[in-house]
Amino acid sequence: MSAADIELSNVHKSYYKDRLEIPVLHGLNLKIGPGDFVAMMGPSGSGKSTLLHLIGGLDSPSDGSIRVGDALLERMTERALTAWRSRHVGFIFQMYHLVPVLTAAQNVELPLLLFRMPASERRRRVETALSVVGLADRADHRPNQLSGGQEQRVAIARAIVTDPEVILADEPTGDLDARMSEEILNLLNLLNSEFGKTILMVTHDPRAASHARRIIHLDKGVLERTEENPVRQPMAGARAAS
Amino acid sequence: MALPLKYHWRHLLSRRTSTLLTVLVVSAVVGVFTWMVGFALALRGSLAVADDDHKLIVIKRGATAESNSAIIPEDESRLVALSDVATDAATGERLISPEMLTQVSLPRLRDAGRTSANVAVRGVTPMAFKVHRKVRLVRGALFDLGEPQIIVGAAAAKQFAGLEIGSTVQLGSSGNRPYRVVGIFSADGGPMESEIWGYLESLKNAYGRSMYSSVNLRLRDGVDPQNVIDEVEGPAIQLSAWTEPAYWSQQSGLIKAYLMLAGSLIAVMSLAAIFAIANTMFSSVAGRTREIAMLRTIGFSGRQVLAGFVIESVLLALIGGILGCAGAMAWLNLVGNRKDMFGMSTFTTMAFEINPSPLMWGCSLVMVLAVGALGALWPARRAAALDVITALRQV
Repeated sequence: MSAADIELSNVHKSYYKDRLEIPVLHGLNLKIGPGDFVAMMGPSGSGKSTLLHLIGGLDSPSDGSIRVGDALLERMTERALTAWRSRHVGFIFQMYHLVPVLTAAQNVELPLLLFRMPASERRRRVETALSVVGLADRADHRPNQLSGGQEQRVAIARAIVTDPEVILADEPTGDLDARMSEEILNLLNLLNSEFGKTILMVTHDPRAASHARRIIHLDKGVLERTEENPVRQPMAGARAAS
Repeated sequence: MALPLKYHWRHLLSRRTSTLLTVLVVSAVVGVFTWMVGFALALRGSLAVADDDHKLIVIKRGATAESNSAIIPEDESRLVALSDVATDAATGERLISPEMLTQVSLPRLRDAGRTSANVAVRGVTPMAFKVHRKVRLVRGALFDLGEPQIIVGAAAAKQFAGLEIGSTVQLGSSGNRPYRVVGIFSADGGPMESEIWGYLESLKNAYGRSMYSSVNLRLRDGVDPQNVIDEVEGPAIQLSAWTEPAYWSQQSGLIKAYLMLAGSLIAVMSLAAIFAIANTMFSSVAGRTREIAMLRTIGFSGRQVLAGFVIESVLLALIGGILGCAGAMAWLNLVGNRKDMFGMSTFTTMAFEINPSPLMWGCSLVMVLAVGALGALWPARRAAALDVITALRQV
């Protein structure tokens, strides 16, 4: 599946607690080109995760527009968003969120259960995804038989098994030591450079952010600044506007 | 496509202690339920045989059953005069059967005679076999009118000691001339199959009776039984008359009350099973919020998550149900499937057999599915309605 671009126009998001409005994002504008790798940084409460959830269709903006590829998310019903997510977005979480009672292969297979697909085809895709993350030989291991880094690699295999255009990663190295973090970030680089996936990664870690082509800084719900990574070449067409 | 069964199965196995405890509660409830359903079906089957509405049972006015009724021979003569009573085509006799009912205490076979129960003894004339059409001899011979002989209902013969052909039973003041069992009769599984029958005059002598307990009439085809009942209960005769189904329905009132009580007990136990399952599933949902959030995030709908928890709950109930049914079967094999029940106002017991049937298993399966589904209802809805964002933020 080809990569998708992402465009946010004047996105506002507020939460309500006891009828009190808590604004989180204030008129955010952002463009992420197809095949870009963007790291999103900022202090806690700056709206990073909220932005990730909005782009993933897990939440809807209070105002403004979000387009991912051809999909205008704010116009979609919850049901349509759920179906869209399963086809077009892969999620990677800080705590991996693997099902402890299933093997690595069965965890990776989960998103494919949503599609009408022969078991042989599911098996083939799972094997491919596990090979990409270097865990083909751990297919029958349960999560408690894997290291943290291996668990995260299984979670990445689960995120790519449906071949989505966009990968959203929320602190993917937040629970890993430096060596394992490096492994995961190299893997994300591989998915971006070799497979052309558009990646948006939330992180607090500057070393993790340094693997991205661009780093955007959020503060108090506004886009504070954007940095091009001098080490990595920006993708054509990828730019940010605030 | 829903989540695979192995996903649910492994989750159940991963919470071994709570799964085991819940399975035990469900199996106990289902076991008792299955046994009760078998009991009720057997009892209902026996009473359903007594469905002849052209057979009237006439007892003394004010009496509630044959056992506390006394009808003098003059009253029988008045009944003979009723024009709607059928006539035997061969002999021209009116199909009227005066009968006497008493009881004898006999040891139960199922506990090797440690306990006894009252068995109904009915004194009849040969006319009784024409009035009670379902009663027929299946083994041996009919009692000889001049000899102390009896025939025994098949259900009674299976459940009480000393009722096989050739054995003798002490009845009333028969003293050193006890009654010999000469035949076994069937009543198509109806209540009379739990009785002992002998010749009316012989038994009247043995028990020192001069009156009948009841007079049974067979009505002509096409006659409205209510008209005859009105005539019997009217000023000219002043007795009480019942059709056979109405009589047994009234007689089984105590049994119905017992079944209702047992049903209420089952309902309370079922609630306990539902709560046990709900409790297990609630803790399962609470322990898997991030997993549920992950499933919702990667594209599983709320409905699919709900269905998943219902399937898991029903699976849990099914394991308990299978164990419960196996337990009920083991219990039937251990204590035997033959039961008798005291409950009629005849002060006698009714004997019947609990036989596993598709209906019995079907009722248990429906109960298991209902318990599983109801137990899952709240926890599964909670899982489906989980706030994904909040759950994902939990670290």
